[in-house]
Amino acid sequence: MTTVPVPSAELTVGRQGHYAGAVSRLVAFAADVGASWGVYTLGVLLVNAALKLVTGHSYSFGQDKLLSFVTLTIWEFLYFAYQWAVSGKTLGMAILGLQVVTRQGAPIAGRQAVLRTLGLGFTLFFTLGIGFLGIVYQRERRALNDFIAGTAVVYDWDARAARLRWIARKEGPLRRGADHATPAASTHPD
Amino acid sequence: MTPNPIGLKVEQLAQALAERIVPLIVDAIDIDALLDKVDVEKIIERVDVDKIVERVDVEKIIDRVDVQKIIDRVDINAIVDKVDIDSLVEHTELGSIIARSTTGVLTEVLDVVRAQGVGLDDFVLRWGNRLILRGRRTATWPDGPPLLVEPKVAS
Repeated sequence: MTTVPVPSAELTVGRQGHYAGAVSRLVAFAADVGASWGVYTLGVLLVNAALKLVTGHSYSFGQDKLLSFVTLTIWEFLYFAYQWAVSGKTLGMAILGLQVVTRQGAPIAGRQAVLRTLGLGFTLFFTLGIGFLGIVYQRERRALNDFIAGTAVVYDWDARAARLRWIARKEGPLRRGADHATPAASTHPD
Repeated sequence: MTPNPIGLKVEQLAQALAERIVPLIVDAIDIDALLDKVDVEKIIERVDVDKIVERVDVEKIIDRVDVQKIIDRVDINAIVDKVDIDSLVEHTELGSIIARSTTGVLTEVLDVVRAQGVGLDDFVLRWGNRLILRGRRTATWPDGPPLLVEPKVAS
């Protein structure tokens, strides 16, 4: 077993509420795409199985391209808009510890969640991703969909508690006790 | 019985004389020089502090102290700010309590992913802006929305 060294305080402590950067947001988005596609695929399989059970005929949902496209679009819209409206974060954002807030830092309204979702689609498909460059080059790290909805993305995770957990794992009495008991099997990274 | 008029006059004369002479003598005395000659340490050594303390009714003094007023005056936040929490966790049982109550494999993985993400975010922001020769100007950018982060003070 190996332990991860405690990251510098600069990277963790006191970052709650700060604008989130490109990598965290990209990874969160990738996780959301994976999660939404996974749930969609599972849903399609269930519908196919149900149809087969009821009608006795084998039916593939993917046969009708237009129907698939419309269903997927509605599903993706609901996936993002609903989660942003309810808690300001999607599943991927919750994993990465991010939250969507208003430009001033308050929780977003349902209307902003809807606008942000529509803006996300527009930024993805109509600007070919160029609209996301604001996350790196704009002073409030806002992408085009953030401008459309009047939102910003901030770090939401409790980095202070995480740092204390690190220290507790690495240096706490439990670890020190374990080191004294079995010095040969020490997992201390130093 | 009537008072002796001569005795009364002598008494008044002595009083007037004393009132004139005493200030003259006091002015003439160099108090600093006098104090220099006094060995204060020796005096302190002769004082039996324990005996004095024994005579003091501490309970009575405590009863007269308004503890609430003192607590109200103390800035607890300032004291807490001075406490090195990291060191406290490192050197006390508090660390093991935190570890036992909050550490799970998933928590550890999340902590690592998030911290690495923050590091990479900073890296991309820094180098992305260096590429367009904007370099250190990003240092003056706000850290977060005004409701969540205090604005930077211009130096």
